[in-house]
Amino acid sequence: MSIIYVLIPLAIIIVSIAILVFFWAVKSNQFDDLERQGYSILFDDDLKKDTSETQNTNNKQIND
Amino acid sequence: MSIKIPDGHCYHCGLPNVEGERYPATILKIERIMCCPGCQAVATAIVNNGLESYYEFRTETAARGDAALDNTLSQLAVYDEPELQEEFVFDIGKHKQIQLTVEGITCAACGWLIEKQLAKVKGLKQVSVNVAARRALVTWDDSEIKLSSILNRLKQIGYESLPFQSDQHEASYQNEQKSYLKKLGLAGLMTMQVMMLAMGQYFDLFGNIDNEMQRYFNWISLVLTTPVVLFSGSVFYVSALKAVLARTVNMDIPVTIAIIATYIAGIIAVNKDTGEVYFESICMFIFFLLISRFLEHRSRHKATQISSNMLKYIPVTANKWVGKSLESVLAKQLRIGDLVLVKAGETIPIDGVVTDGAAHVDESMLTGEFEPVKKQVNARVYGGTLNQDGQISLKVTSTLKHAMVNQILRLQETALASKPSVALVADKLSRYFVIAVLAISALTYTYWTSQGNPEAFWICISILVATCPCALGLATPSALTCAMAKLNRTGILIKRADALEQLTHVTDVIFDKTGTLTEGKFTLDKMWFDANAMSEQEMLYIAGSLEQCSEHPISSAFPVDYPKHVENVEIVIGNGIKGVIESIQFTIGSASFLSSKLGDFKIQLNNLGLQNEQDANVFLAEEDKLIAAFSVCDSIKKDVSTVLSHLEQYSTTILSGDSQANVESIANTLGISNKISQCSPKQKLAYIADLQANGKVTLMVGDGINDAPVLAASNVSVAVGNASDLARNAADVILINANLPTLLDVIAMAKRTKRKIKQNIAWALSYNLMVLPFAMMGVLTPWQAALGMSLSSIIVVYNSTRLMC
Repeated sequence: MSIIYVLIPLAIIIVSIAILVFFWAVKSNQFDDLERQGYSILFDDDLKKDTSETQNTNNKQIND
Repeated sequence: MSIKIPDGHCYHCGLPNVEGERYPATILKIERIMCCPGCQAVATAIVNNGLESYYEFRTETAARGDAALDNTLSQLAVYDEPELQEEFVFDIGKHKQIQLTVEGITCAACGWLIEKQLAKVKGLKQVSVNVAARRALVTWDDSEIKLSSILNRLKQIGYESLPFQSDQHEASYQNEQKSYLKKLGLAGLMTMQVMMLAMGQYFDLFGNIDNEMQRYFNWISLVLTTPVVLFSGSVFYVSALKAVLARTVNMDIPVTIAIIATYIAGIIAVNKDTGEVYFESICMFIFFLLISRFLEHRSRHKATQISSNMLKYIPVTANKWVGKSLESVLAKQLRIGDLVLVKAGETIPIDGVVTDGAAHVDESMLTGEFEPVKKQVNARVYGGTLNQDGQISLKVTSTLKHAMVNQILRLQETALASKPSVALVADKLSRYFVIAVLAISALTYTYWTSQGNPEAFWICISILVATCPCALGLATPSALTCAMAKLNRTGILIKRADALEQLTHVTDVIFDKTGTLTEGKFTLDKMWFDANAMSEQEMLYIAGSLEQCSEHPISSAFPVDYPKHVENVEIVIGNGIKGVIESIQFTIGSASFLSSKLGDFKIQLNNLGLQNEQDANVFLAEEDKLIAAFSVCDSIKKDVSTVLSHLEQYSTTILSGDSQANVESIANTLGISNKISQCSPKQKLAYIADLQANGKVTLMVGDGINDAPVLAASNVSVAVGNASDLARNAADVILINANLPTLLDVIAMAKRTKRKIKQNIAWALSYNLMVLPFAMMGVLTPWQAALGMSLSSIIVVYNSTRLMC
């Protein structure tokens, strides 16, 4: 059972990372609009080539 | 995935196609029929931009397109004025950023459509659409593209977007919302961890956990609980502290005592290695309490967002005379004494006196009455009203700040401030409840200590936790949130959550007349005609074709899709129209107009079977022969009488600015005994205030700008259909579609919600009272108390969600 002395701190570290990620997500407005983002995946697949290029450049700009 | 549009309905907006197959467009390789040129233009723009997949994935039909696309760019150009941008546009580095409220967003596909459409525009840096809030955040490079053309691009695909004045509370709500979310997330994740460790100890089936491991578990739990207590729980301590400083009590005081006492006792126990620890109870307790607070906060946040969207900013431009030339300026730049030209069809930008010309002015936005008023030299005109015909020059008499519209706006603001506040029964109840809980736990503690029970402290904590009015706190917000969500789906916006609660106390229902009970436009009521001359349809066709030539609102009584060609049109303002159709001379107009054209007007009237000249108000003649007489009036909306029959238990009143005769006839038809006519916005306000002073609770239903102050003052107010922005802004409830029967849905839902709230409160209270004796006897340990409290809260939330179906 001594393995538990390693596993539990490990679990705590993972949880802390999860919390940090969650805080980051809240801070960057990820929870502002819960209706829309679920659909994004459906749309982008069906884009024609020329529009998907602009989409990529747009994404780049957003990431910048 | 995508929705199905039935045959004969517009593929874009889903409304019936009344004009046959006149507006086709090819979407997804199939020719579809649209209902109007607006939808056709929007659909074509979407297809041409390669965004067809919008139609594949949307879950709601779009808003109907606006046909008037041509002149919008010039109108939107106002938004490029630096003076105007000052208020709404932020400079971020070399780019500019603005938040827009977008009308017409119906589902997630709209968000995608907007982002894709704008992503292709050169000079546009970033677009993000928030579907839930119906807003878009746009960043652009001002040297490459102007704001007006961005707005125009949106308009092309059918979305009306405008800058708006963000509610001052909203920014702070937004921050609070985020902070709640963080606290809730942290508490949730930590509760899971602590619970996992605690479960191991509770259900140590194999006896594998020795003392050392127990200590280890306790230490870990303490480490995990600390951020929850210090960060997540801080909401309660702050609120409790505020209450203590204000010398009152609130629900947060016993909560704070229970959390801090348990936590400190836990630290001591871990250090001394003796006694009980209840870290998992603390975490669970904080987590569940936070959920209820979060729900409550979110419903309020949503309400402020909706009302903020209403504060759209529509600037008005004016043509100012500078010497002999005209210059386009913003209305707010006008000074007293400036001369302004208003052309036919334009909105009058500011209050003033006519110095030249004559026109009919539609003052419906101020008075609620749609019949245009004739304005000649020296007549006063008001900003915001519409010049229907003729060209007038006016001299500005007051700056925009003191204009009539803004005076009404201020009247509304003061009315809103003096609105009777809701006596929050739940708050009062919980205050006594809290005092009782604190007293009982203190008494129990002293009793058990005097008995020498070592568990006295934990019994006291159990009482505080078990009787925590958490479920009680959830009872109202959870039910209101669910009811609002349900109503939202049926096109009813609730701007203030407690409006639903107040609706159930309403004693008096007060209606505005024009636009609320009536259509707000002329419709054909009765007609008398000479059947030998031509058929009824043909007559209406001729009348409609003639009326098409004029902008007079009476033309709405004779709708025609394909008007006949009318030659030699002669319009006599305020009297009638003469024209030649298929080489026959027709005349339509008032009695005085026709009697001047026809010598034997009276006799011809009698021939039509019309005894009393007053019964009809529009007459049609073919050459020299009178062929028809029409009675045209503002008719009552279709379902009004059904709605009124359902409102029998309330005392109903008509409160109108219209003339006594008109109000009386409508009231008699509908069987409403209380009627008050010729009211100014101020008098309407006084009437409501008088009712309220007599202890009545009022529900006001209205639509015009003149109703705005009274909507703001009424206990509960409903804005109907195409209400003016000001009225929507003042109302608590907005019916998106114009049919009054949805009002009954709101009332029914309010009653259901009230019942739910009562059930919830009854359950929460009886649970708390039930466990109290067990907690006092010391049978209940703190973890059982926390578990019971959580279950009780879940039951309450589940009961509330049943409102959604």
